[in-house]
Amino acid sequence: MKMIPQTITNPEKKSQPKTNLMKNETSLFSRLFFGIILSLFTVLSILPLIWLALSSFKTTQEFQFNRLGLPINWFFKNYSLAWKIAGMGKLIFNSVFYTSISTIAVVFLSLAAAFAFAKIKSKATPFLYGSFVIGILLTIQSIMVPLFLMANTLNLLDTRLGVLIPYVGFGLPIGVYLCTEYVKSIHDSIVESARIDGAGYFKIFGAIIIPMAKPVVSTLAILNVLAVWNEFMLINILVSTDEMKSLPVGIMKFSSALSSDYGKQFAALVIGLLPLLSFYLVFRNKITEGVSAGAIKG
Amino acid sequence: MKQYQAKKEERRAYLFLVLPAVLLYFAVMAFPMVFSIWMSVSDYSGGQIFGGSTPINFIGFNNYARMWKDQYFWISLKNNLYIVLISVFGQIPLGFVLAYALHRNQVRNKGFFQTVIYLPCVISSVIVGILWQTIFSPYGPFTELMRHFKPGWENSLLSNPRTAIIPVLLVMLWYYTGTYFIIFLANLQKINPEVIEAAKIDGASEWQSLRYVILPALSGVIVTSSILAISGSLKSFGLIFAMTGGNPARRTSVLALYMYDTAFRGAPNYPMANAVSTFMVVFSFLLIIITKLAEKRFGGREE
Repeated sequence: MKMIPQTITNPEKKSQPKTNLMKNETSLFSRLFFGIILSLFTVLSILPLIWLALSSFKTTQEFQFNRLGLPINWFFKNYSLAWKIAGMGKLIFNSVFYTSISTIAVVFLSLAAAFAFAKIKSKATPFLYGSFVIGILLTIQSIMVPLFLMANTLNLLDTRLGVLIPYVGFGLPIGVYLCTEYVKSIHDSIVESARIDGAGYFKIFGAIIIPMAKPVVSTLAILNVLAVWNEFMLINILVSTDEMKSLPVGIMKFSSALSSDYGKQFAALVIGLLPLLSFYLVFRNKITEGVSAGAIKG
Repeated sequence: MKQYQAKKEERRAYLFLVLPAVLLYFAVMAFPMVFSIWMSVSDYSGGQIFGGSTPINFIGFNNYARMWKDQYFWISLKNNLYIVLISVFGQIPLGFVLAYALHRNQVRNKGFFQTVIYLPCVISSVIVGILWQTIFSPYGPFTELMRHFKPGWENSLLSNPRTAIIPVLLVMLWYYTGTYFIIFLANLQKINPEVIEAAKIDGASEWQSLRYVILPALSGVIVTSSILAISGSLKSFGLIFAMTGGNPARRTSVLALYMYDTAFRGAPNYPMANAVSTFMVVFSFLLIIITKLAEKRFGGREE
């Protein structure tokens, strides 16, 4: 690491033209090499999805003999049929419902607890905060059977509440952790001066903490949306009527019922991935930022 | 008196702010975890837990012993280890190479590559599983593609118990590499570019600056990624559930699926399922501790 002081003492060394020269000289071969790897994997990432999209416009009969090419006759009816048979409208509504309500609850509850943990002194904080942090390591399957039995005992199977409560609970550990670390970074003096001015804690929470916490709120909301929207294992056992199913559960059922009807199945898959795909394309920078921040801190 | 009032208000505010999250967390996570461990050493067989007609007995580690003797437990554990290996030696290095390539190469449309490479990660695992099951099936495009090179090739990839895990692992490489790519990319951008430039001016080659400047700076991220890979591998369920259902002959099962089968398929055996899930928690903690120790022993080049 002896190079570091050198750069600091000789700032002129990083002048622009020289930098570019260095890069071009050293990286002609590696540029080609890395360029090929990058392009190859990019193509591999998208190709199966393009294939899926194209195949969804073929009839099942056409798919039997034309598996790789473009559709000969563009058959759009797959979509309306799949939409109707799988009850896509209901599934999408349910997924949006579970995702949005649980995300709002997770963000709000996490931030409230985080404010108390970070800015109000209490002897209970180390134990309570510590239990949330340990909870980050717990996975759904480690408590899935008890949750199923509890929901059964409390008559919460096949209800929206029975899905929402565990989803909010699962979002809390990472939520409380990320929010507490963030609220800690807000200066104590801001809270103290508001206290001296006579503001109560709830006022401070609403007027100062929530507006200042926007960055962590967006990170947390994104992580929660991705996790809840794609969650399959738990909701698959908590819910059995079509009325309550989320998109992944509904698509799983649809595809096992129509496993050889390729045209409709492909259309159903495309419908299933479009909502989150559009969410991703709109918020792609926020999402990649949030994912890497959440992964490293969590 | 005033100070006492303030203290009281402080305590009340703390309680109100913390209570909803704490109650929910203990009801949904902490209590079930304890419940699960308790159930794993009992002979509970469904029905009422308190005041039921059949008393629940403490049977020690019988459920664990039964699990230990079950060949499907070992098959599942082995597959989980394969998944850890494909993550640590496949997804993480590949993710790093891609991130490094994008970071060092001044390609146009950086954002485009980034968006496309991460794209598979946002698709639901069930959809990914169904899609790839079709691709690798004997009637799928993979067979057709292979026949261009090897006419008459018979595709038994997913139906042969010996090979069925291979396509699953390949799909995991496709599905999850983007996550590590994004993590490495974000952290490469945090390294001060002047440090790398300085190394080059001192005559370091691309390879040397990678080996002595960039990788040491990322050692912490590599450890975090490995921990993520370990706990992620134990989580894998949806993809395999949709792609193979654990078959043929339960040869592609993983621990999560083995636990699910024990609890919800055929005659439910809740205590044994809880023994499996408790084992999974202990196992992942152990792996994480080993990773941390390995970092202390071999790493330690963090700044």
